[in-house]
Amino acid sequence: MSYRELTNGRIAGGVAAALAAGAVVALTVTSETVLSLLTQATIFAIFALGVGILLRQNGMVSFGHAAFYGLGGYVVAILLERQLMSAEMALVAAFFGIALFAFLIGFVVVRVPGIAFGMLTLALGQMFYQVASRSRNLTGGADGINISWPDTLFGFDISLLTRQDAMFYFAWSGLVLSIGIVAALMASRFGATTEAIRDNEERARFIGIRTLLPRVLVFTLSGTVTALAGLMSAFQTAFISPESMHWSVSGTALMMVIIGGYRYLWGPALGAIAFFLSRDLVGDFAQHWLAIFGVALIVVIVFAPQGISGALARLFRRKAVARPAAAAVIHKLKERT
Amino acid sequence: MLSINIFNGLVYGALLVVMSSGLALIYGLRRVVNFAHGSLYMLGAYLGYTVASHTNFWVAQVAVPLLMGLLGLALDRFAFRPLQDRDPLTVILVTFGLLLVIEDFVQTVWGKSNLSVPAPDLLNASVDLFGMSVPAYRIAVIFFGLVVAGALTLWLRYSKMGLFVRAASTEPTITSMQGVNVDRLSGLVVAVGTALAGLAGIIAAPFLSLSPSMSSDVIIDSFVVVVTGGLGSLLGAFAAALILGQVQAVGAVYLPEFATVLPYVLMMAVLLWRPAGFAGNRV
Repeated sequence: MSYRELTNGRIAGGVAAALAAGAVVALTVTSETVLSLLTQATIFAIFALGVGILLRQNGMVSFGHAAFYGLGGYVVAILLERQLMSAEMALVAAFFGIALFAFLIGFVVVRVPGIAFGMLTLALGQMFYQVASRSRNLTGGADGINISWPDTLFGFDISLLTRQDAMFYFAWSGLVLSIGIVAALMASRFGATTEAIRDNEERARFIGIRTLLPRVLVFTLSGTVTALAGLMSAFQTAFISPESMHWSVSGTALMMVIIGGYRYLWGPALGAIAFFLSRDLVGDFAQHWLAIFGVALIVVIVFAPQGISGALARLFRRKAVARPAAAAVIHKLKERT
Repeated sequence: MLSINIFNGLVYGALLVVMSSGLALIYGLRRVVNFAHGSLYMLGAYLGYTVASHTNFWVAQVAVPLLMGLLGLALDRFAFRPLQDRDPLTVILVTFGLLLVIEDFVQTVWGKSNLSVPAPDLLNASVDLFGMSVPAYRIAVIFFGLVVAGALTLWLRYSKMGLFVRAASTEPTITSMQGVNVDRLSGLVVAVGTALAGLAGIIAAPFLSLSPSMSSDVIIDSFVVVVTGGLGSLLGAFAAALILGQVQAVGAVYLPEFATVLPYVLMMAVLLWRPAGFAGNRV
């Protein structure tokens, strides 16, 4: 068993466990409002995962990812409204279309370093927001578009999605599988390459790594995952409006990433879920919710830059796990021979 | 029709001059892209509302920048200065957190409904300008913009402290070796920048209505101005503010769909063409 296989085995185990945990939640929670809240949190967890990948693997902070999120809904909504293709085709077209778009735009934007990248994505995101709010013919302007799903989708009855437990499990599976796929990718050579580039692009070039394409691919992955969140939201709400593309949405997602911590892939998702659940918990103070979260953001940045996931990982890390991974593999190999 | 749009463009451009010069100053010395600048502007406008309703507009115009200046000193002392060695991106996020806190504070104190500040009696009239009838207050806004631009230019070009500010914005380390206390200087500059945000707020109050959403548009416009004008460069910001004012006012009437996108296209073009504009610059 190689190190690679061991890692993939662990990822597969984690995915299976998380899917089972989601099933338990879907089956035991009966309150429709709680399930709907959990679905919303899960969708934003996918969004945050997308933003987090970019930060974790490229070290880049995007202030414009809401564009990918909103595009997911808009592309499907417009394709369906004009009856250009079947809903199944529209979903596939939207997903791969946005992935291609992220890839192409990535070639241009990832060349820009540091703060300038943040400003560039901010401008890009606001451009989409403005187009969506102004083009009344295409996007319905500020009123947005209702998405009219057909009766069946990929052979499933559409009424499944109006059932809160089914919708939650659908979104949850999307989140868990995304994290699994991204984790497997990051454990591969590609992940190592992007980390080398992130830490020192110049040295990575010296040892013969072509640095542009991996960075573009990370951007593409990040945009595509975010678009998946947009598609999920289109399922849940059957509605899309320019508000979902506003820069403050990108900022909120970024905030979830920071509070959750982005060193671990599940960190941003945890941040998103913490955001929604604690907003519900503060109850009467909910109107001051953003301020509370703003303070939390500042506290995390200043005192715990690794976020909730970093703190949790430190808390639960036992000695056996703390051993270097390579030593663990050697140990495993010895056991087998 | 056209001339009134050009005039309104000038008014908005003048407001952006006041707004974005504060943003550019703060970036120049602290290298902080201040997301909270828009909410400081909003806070200035609401403070102005309260002060003006108890006294009058002119008192507000002096008191608000002073109060905001004090806030700026605190902002630098307790946020920007301790964080100056951290990754610039984390400081951006801190200002984003501040934005949320300030916006909530404003909503809690003044509520969510739209408020307005009447123009001072002296300027509460219509003036005939090249055959158009325009509110006198709007002419005054252009005048305020000119005064701020002129005063800042004189301060930075011809005073000793202005010299220090220019030096520190290019080479903070060498400037402090020469015996300038760059931390104190930066505190002062952040105070001035914050005061300018507050001043922009009180200037805007009589002709734009006060609402919780007033900050989010103007901050993005100020970013466009500061980036296209070259971050940290005041002269560039002045020019970009006037151009953006025209694009917003004239373009929005004649080419509405194009005009709302154009500023962002310009901003992206500048960032792609010269991303280093963020690094190599002077006040």
